[in-house]
Order: sequence, then structure tokens, then C-alpha cells
Amino acid sequence: MTISNDKEFKSALAGLSPSQQRQVAARFVQAVFPLSNDVRIKAALEAAGRAGISDAELAIVAQAANTARVESFTQCGREADWSAQVGHFVAKAAVACVKPAEGGGNLAWDAAMQARMARTCQTVADGVGTENREAETQYRILEAFLNS
Amino acid sequence: MTASLEKGIRVLKEVIDAPIASYFNSCVHCGLCAEACLFYTETGDPKYTPIHKLEPLRRVYEQEYTLLGRLKKMVGLSKPVTDDELDQWQELVYNSCTLCGRCSAVCPVGNDIVYMVRKFREGMSASGHAPAGIKGAVTRTVTIGSPMGVKLPAVQAQMKHVEEDYGIPIPLDAEGAEYMVMLSSMEIINFPEYLAAIAKIMHQAGKRWTLCSTAFEATNAGIQIGNSDLAKVIVSRIVEGAEKLKVKTVISPECGHAYTALRWEGANLIGRPFTFDVKHIIEVLGEFQAQGLLKTEGFETDRLTFHDPCQLARRGGVIQQQRNLMNQVAKNFVEMPDAGYMNWCCGGGGGASAIEEGEELRLEAFKKKKSQLDVVKPDRLVTACANCRIVLEEGLEHYQMEIPVVGLTELIAEHIPEKGA
Amino acid sequence: MNELQFLTWVRGPGLDIAVGIFLLGVVWRLFEIYSLGRKKDLSAPRHAAGASGLHTVFRRSIPPPGMLKRSPVSYIGGYIFHIGLAIVVFLFAPHILLIKNLTGLSWPGLPSQFIDLAAVVTMAAMVMVLVDRINKPVKRFLSTFEDWFTWAATFLPVLTGWLAVQHLLLPYTTMLALHILSVEILLVVLPFTKLFHAFTVFGSRWFNGKVNGHKGVPV
Repeated sequence: MTISNDKEFKSALAGLSPSQQRQVAARFVQAVFPLSNDVRIKAALEAAGRAGISDAELAIVAQAANTARVESFTQCGREADWSAQVGHFVAKAAVACVKPAEGGGNLAWDAAMQARMARTCQTVADGVGTENREAETQYRILEAFLNS
Repeated sequence: MTASLEKGIRVLKEVIDAPIASYFNSCVHCGLCAEACLFYTETGDPKYTPIHKLEPLRRVYEQEYTLLGRLKKMVGLSKPVTDDELDQWQELVYNSCTLCGRCSAVCPVGNDIVYMVRKFREGMSASGHAPAGIKGAVTRTVTIGSPMGVKLPAVQAQMKHVEEDYGIPIPLDAEGAEYMVMLSSMEIINFPEYLAAIAKIMHQAGKRWTLCSTAFEATNAGIQIGNSDLAKVIVSRIVEGAEKLKVKTVISPECGHAYTALRWEGANLIGRPFTFDVKHIIEVLGEFQAQGLLKTEGFETDRLTFHDPCQLARRGGVIQQQRNLMNQVAKNFVEMPDAGYMNWCCGGGGGASAIEEGEELRLEAFKKKKSQLDVVKPDRLVTACANCRIVLEEGLEHYQMEIPVVGLTELIAEHIPEKGA
Repeated sequence: MNELQFLTWVRGPGLDIAVGIFLLGVVWRLFEIYSLGRKKDLSAPRHAAGASGLHTVFRRSIPPPGMLKRSPVSYIGGYIFHIGLAIVVFLFAPHILLIKNLTGLSWPGLPSQFIDLAAVVTMAAMVMVLVDRINKPVKRFLSTFEDWFTWAATFLPVLTGWLAVQHLLLPYTTMLALHILSVEILLVVLPFTKLFHAFTVFGSRWFNGKVNGHKGVPV
């Protein structure tokens, strides 16, 4: 199937099982991971990408990823470092990947949104404005995942 | 006396008024203010006693405005305020005070200590004794437009992100809109979901709203550092924007001090009443709720509690609305002890969270918030201030407490039905 | 000077001087403080029931939520000795007589045994708050010479008055003279020390209540 807009993107993601969502979410975040390079996030993505991951293992990497997220907040009043903020959103995306499955929610969609925000922060940091093609990149990733 | 010290003392003389004189003369050294201040209760160090934070100001008052004090000064019996002393007081006036106002709420003789700290900061800042972190924030606000250096392109990036990902248009500079929505740098940088939430809610309520390209920033670092001139510049931008766009109401975002700055200090800074209303987003949501314009579906079922931001509840007068809103979307909302207007500060307001050297103290003070949460044991913590959110998350992280923190506006928006998704 | 001359002096010139300084002092200090004025608040007010300056003048006498258990001695000791002082000063027949001679006003007093009990309870409470001031780190940290001095200036009139009525320690004439002298000292220092809170507490609470009432918060 082909995906050409967010409506289709979102409903395709919603149709996946939590495990599948985790795997595709990990791929979305992998696409922006080079912007961060935090080892805790790497571990989280690696865990999320594995099909048979247990809840206990997820909990461990989730905590580390959350620490990475909290550490990278920009404090109120401090100078905004957009490059650093990229890392914050990558961490946020990774946290979405390793969230426990219960409670419903479309964790892959959340991860995708945060990954896009990371890309936007990067383009702002680079001074090239706000245009980026992350959404399209994600559509292609999802298509590849579904067709595999 | 150095030029800057002279300037500082001159400013202190100017800010002293009848209330301050009354307060200094009423203090009986009972120490109850310390019992209300989390920086004292969690450290046990008496130097954090709120009234003590004002000692240099008290001496300026005595030496300048009392007959006996002036006589003492003439015969050389009074202790002058020095640069060294103000330097020492920097930690007390900034790092260990978030302008939370609990001290003012408990003083038995009625002293409004937080009011005095706010005034004292004017002299501290004029004499060059404000922390570097806040100084930077103020400079950036005045030159760039935001304390964190957020410029319009960043805001537009956010707008685009929201428009594309959530499918709701964000108006910019729409003249004649009913509401002008302000953001705080914190939301623009850390919580893009907030803008999406506002858009959803406004859309459902059928209200015309807009962002303003020249006045999107609500945060007022001038208030935090204690520089009314700069605070005035920041407020003026907002006033100009609101008047240019002819809006009825300016909405202050989920940020504590932004609300205080605009709603209570704003008119006094520019010297005339506003021609528009100022409301906190939670007040607006409360109104929508009361008017039946906030239609939500579903409920959160986990155990939720609410952290009242100091500037919203105790210092802002918005206390009941957040509870009504919580009850609309939560089945298991429990109050923490001292909830409402006596709530304990998160420890990071008033510019405190921008002070790197104050972090250790803030984390220690956080034990008070921890103790409230230990009583109520929530699954998640809801609040309505972006800075509180971050300070809370950092504190919880430090104490290894697994309690996610969410914003109230976003929580409400999550329950607004999708329109033909 | 013998004891009778001492008593005559404190009852006569001493009292005149002390009351004169007290009255002039109070008027001057009230002027010194409140003439500084304050700026008008131009922000739009909220109107909440029960939130105003006047409400706070009264309501602030009640410990706010959570505070009583943090410092029970401050509140309980404070209440007891303030109320005790009021009872002893204003409801003891000889004092009422003095006020009648000075102003023409009078009212019924309480039986002397009751006043006796009130005086003892007041002194006990004052000792309790003194001990608290010495023991508690914050109070000790804040305390200056003025705190100890004003404590003594307030305590001694009660002590000497009680000793006089009980005919203890010194001959009655001397004890009475000392009592009156101690009251005169209290009157003279009151306007110029923290004891002036007796007058400024109303203004302070009122300002506080007004500011918060403006925001719709009853404090």
C-alpha cells in the first residue's frame, strides 16, 4: 500500500499490534537518531526494534530513556540551544517507543510526531527555516515495514 | 560607595512605600514565615527565613525613612548597606525565593513579604547583584523578544508542526479576533502539544483566536529579575499587539509568572489600565466549561492529582477552575494535602530554575513536594504551568519517583472528540 | 528619695512624661509610616466574597491551614499572653479607675481573683514564648537585643503588678512604684520598637488583605 497523507499514516499505524508499532516507531526514531547519539536512546531503540522484547526489559530501557528526556529539557529562562533541543525530542520519541502497551494510544504516532519535531528543531538550528520532509520519510518507512 | 551600589540604594529608597514601612514595623520576629517557606522547612537553615531575606532593605528603610534611624545614621551608629552584603544576599533573594507567596499568606501581623522581595529585587538588579542566569534571560527578552532566544521562525515552525500533524490551522495576526493567545518560550521549545491543544479547544468552542507575530512571548523576565523598566518594555509589546489586533481578551499561557506579570503588574508598569481583558488559559477553559462550550468524551481512570502553580492559585486567584476541569475528564482525581491556595511551590519559579548554582538547593527543597506526593501516591501529576512541569519532572527524576507529569490544557484537549479523523 | 516620694513622682510627672511621649510617639510614628503612601493599582480587580482588607484584619488572627502544628507555641502562647494582657490591663478595677481619671471612660471589671489567675497565666505564657525564642533556631537567629528588651519591658509590668497585689518581695509602696515605672518604660518604648505592631498590625493586615482581595484570594 502507499501512504500519501497523515490521515492514512495515522490509521495504518493504529491498525498495528503494540509490538509492531514499537518496531516501526523505532525506525522512525532511528531516522533522526544521528542528531542525538545518546547511548541510552540507542539502547531503547535497539530494544524496541526486537520483536519478542519482554515488559521487564522494556521497563529498564524506558527509565534510561526518560532520564535522557528529563535531562535535556531547556530550563525556563536559559538560552534555547536548538541543537540540544533536538536531542530532547529524540529522547521523547524514544520514550514513546518503549512505553508499556496498555492504555491504548497510538505510540507509533506519538513517536513519529516527536521525531518530526526533532527534525524541525534541527532545521531551525541550522538556520534553514522550518521546511523539512520528515513526514514523507516516515511514510516511506511505514510502507517498507508493511510490505516486508 | 560605588556608582552601582548608589544606584541600587536609590532604587530601594524609591520603592519603599507605606505598606513596606508598615510591614517592617509590624514584624515581631516570630519566625512563622520560615515555617511556611519550603527552602527553610526542607533545609532547616534559618538564613532562608523570608523576612531575613529583606534585611538590607529594612536597614535602608530605617536609615532613610525613620527619625530615629536618620539620627542614628547622623551620629554614625547605623550599619550601612554594602556591595558585599548585597552580594551575600543574592542567594537569599533569588536562589532561595520563587516569589511563591506562602510567607505572605501566613504572617500573623499581615506582612506581605513576597511583595517586599519583589521590590527588593529592583534594588538588587539595579546594583548589579542579580544572578547571571536571569540577567541573560532579560537581555534576550529585550533584544530578541524571548528570554530563551525564541524568534518568530521557531514559533512558525511550531505552528506548521501543529497544522500539519494535527490538521488544525493556526491563525497569525488575525485582526478583530476575540482572543489573542500568548505562549511562553517554554511551551514553544519543550511542549508543542500545548499549541495543538489550544487550537483544538478553540476550534470546538467556535471562537476566533490568533497568535500575534510581534507579541507571542508571555514570559516576563523583567519581573523575575526585578527590573520594572525592562518588565515594562515586555508588557508594552503585548499591549501594542493586542491593541493593534483589537482583541477582547489576551490569554496568558500555562506559565505562572507570565500571568502575574501581565494580569497584575502590567497595567501598573505601563501606567494605565488595559483596554482588553487578561485571562489565564485555565480561566478561559473554566469559562468555556461553564458555558457548555467544552464538550469532552471519556475519562482518565488512573489516579490523578493536581499541583497548583503558585502564580495561578495563591497569587493569581484561579483556584476552583482547575478542579472543575479535572473533574470533567478524570474519574479518580484526588487532592494532595495543602492543595489549593496553600499549595507548596515546585521550587523553580520566579527565575529560580534559570539559576544553575541554585540547583542543589532546589532539589533539596523539592522534598516538600515529594512529601505531598508520598501521601497521595498518584499515578500521574497534572499541572498548568510549563516551568512547574519541568521542575517537577526533574525533581521526580532525581528522587526516582515514577510519576508522569501532564499539562491540564493538553489533558482536556485529549478528550475532545476527533472530527472525522 | 524615699519610697513615697518615688511613688508620688511616678504617679505624677513620670506618668505625664510617659503618656506624653507615648501619645506623641504614636501619632508621629503613624504619620511617619503611612504618609509614605502607595501607588494605586491599575489592574482590573476581581471581586470575591470574603476577600478584602477588612476581612484579613480579623481572619489573620486564625492560624492558616497547616501552620498550627508547625509552631504551636507561637500561636497558643501568643494568644494566651495577648488575651491575658488585655484582661489584666483593661479589666482590673484599679486600672479602670486610672483610665477613668485620665479619660472619663469606665466599665465593669472582673473579680480580682480572676485577674490574679490571668496574670499568672500570662506570665507563664510569656516565659513559654521566651523559652521558644531561645530554643527554636529561626527565632534565635532572628532575635536582636530589641527582642529580649521588649520582652522584658512587657513582662516586668505584669510581674511587678502581680507582686504588688500579692504584697511580695518588696514593701507595697515600693513595689507599686516600680510597677508604675515599668509601665512608663513600656509606654515610652512602645512606639519606637517592634511593640508598635500593636498599632501597625491593622494597617499591615489590611494592605495584605486588600492586595490579595484584588486578585480574588481571601487570605
